[in-house]
Amino acid sequence: MNHPRAARPNGFDRRTLLRAGGVSLLGGAVLSACAADFGGDSAPGRVGLADEGTPLPDGIVDDVVLMRTMQSLEHTVVAGLTAMADGGMFSAAQSTYIDRFISDHVAASGALGAIIEAGGGEQFACPNEWVMARYIEPILAAVQGTDDEMRDVRAISHALETMLAHSYQHVVGLLDAPAHRRAAMVQGAAASRRSASLAVQSSAALHGYVGPELAGTPERTSDGFPIPYAVPSTFGRVDQIELVVGAVDDEGSRFSTLLQTPAENTFVYAYQSC
Amino acid sequence: MNDAPRGTENLDEATGARDRRAMLVAGLAGAVVAIAGASKVTAAENDFTAAELDILRFAQRLELTARDLYDAAMAAGATGAIWEAMSEQHEAYAQSIAGLTGLSADSRNDEVFDALVGAFSSSGAAEAAYDLESAAAATHIEVLGLLNHRPASELIASIISAESRHCVVLADLTGRGTDLTSLLVNNAQPILPA
Repeated sequence: MNHPRAARPNGFDRRTLLRAGGVSLLGGAVLSACAADFGGDSAPGRVGLADEGTPLPDGIVDDVVLMRTMQSLEHTVVAGLTAMADGGMFSAAQSTYIDRFISDHVAASGALGAIIEAGGGEQFACPNEWVMARYIEPILAAVQGTDDEMRDVRAISHALETMLAHSYQHVVGLLDAPAHRRAAMVQGAAASRRSASLAVQSSAALHGYVGPELAGTPERTSDGFPIPYAVPSTFGRVDQIELVVGAVDDEGSRFSTLLQTPAENTFVYAYQSC
Repeated sequence: MNDAPRGTENLDEATGARDRRAMLVAGLAGAVVAIAGASKVTAAENDFTAAELDILRFAQRLELTARDLYDAAMAAGATGAIWEAMSEQHEAYAQSIAGLTGLSADSRNDEVFDALVGAFSSSGAAEAAYDLESAAAATHIEVLGLLNHRPASELIASIISAESRHCVVLADLTGRGTDLTSLLVNNAQPILPA
């Protein structure tokens, strides 16, 4: 069976079109390269009239920045503990501890401040904005209307002290001067003691001192709350700290977050002040 | 059935393998560059000085001393999982220093052992252990100030954290669980090389 074909003009098929297009592009490129510079803005065009963002200065991470960051974390913990104390959330017995913790944190800030100034930096004796916004404020909001305030403030206090202990140990690997590493672990050791003290109070009577990795003890309560242990592992840790607080929501879960050691987004750079 | 010619299939396999290999090589190179860039460890920081090896050997021997003292306490009748855990942890610290430095974990500090073994073998073993852990943490804090070697500093810092926690447990075991000074403050003097 014969199929009629449309007549195709000679010399104007797809191949010819492609060839002609390629030659045109090449020619254009050559002409552009050889063209004189007529001036003008060579930046890509913008759409709209929105203000351009202000670029941040380069953030250099040095020992002073790391010490400023740790000083800010000390004040962050003070802010968290103070908010709960002011809210009357601690028992009288707990308040004895918490008052002592707060004064220890302020003293630690002073010690760090002296190191910062000796290194030519400016102290940052204020809470860390990033940590406040992403951890402390949501945590404090979550305990409003909780079903067990005592349980929650104990867990929060433990998590904050543990975060501080992990953070001091973590920055030892970032600090350059041995004297600064030593100074960091003077405070890190104290934070580990506060963390362990709270763990002993919370769970030693029921679950013992030693954590699941070492003794096969449970990781969580029957209600799903992480159990703090005074000795959670053989070596000191720098991992994130899980915190579960608040009442059960409509979906059957509670607020949970993972507190972490400081990183680039948490550092208090030299260009920041408070 | 519209089978592809065999030759084309082989060509695809060969090309795929080549691409995968190239990607692996590129990925590995990238990872090496990334690790080199991410780590603050320099070649000089990875080299131990003789003085650093001496101080780390001292720290390692202190850890083995602690292990032997806890073992002595258990041999004298101290019971409870915490004693065994403490002994094992101090041995782990000594072994970790060995792994980092190449120094064999084979000898304790006899001077410290002889001074404390009587207390560890008595009914006041937990008190003695509290004092030892406090002194060990204080010692390692001083060790930290003498080390340029960054990985060794990180290891010592992790030991300080753990031993500080041991102090709290031992304070609680000795009936000082509500004594804030015993729980929170390390008043011990570091143990220094003779």
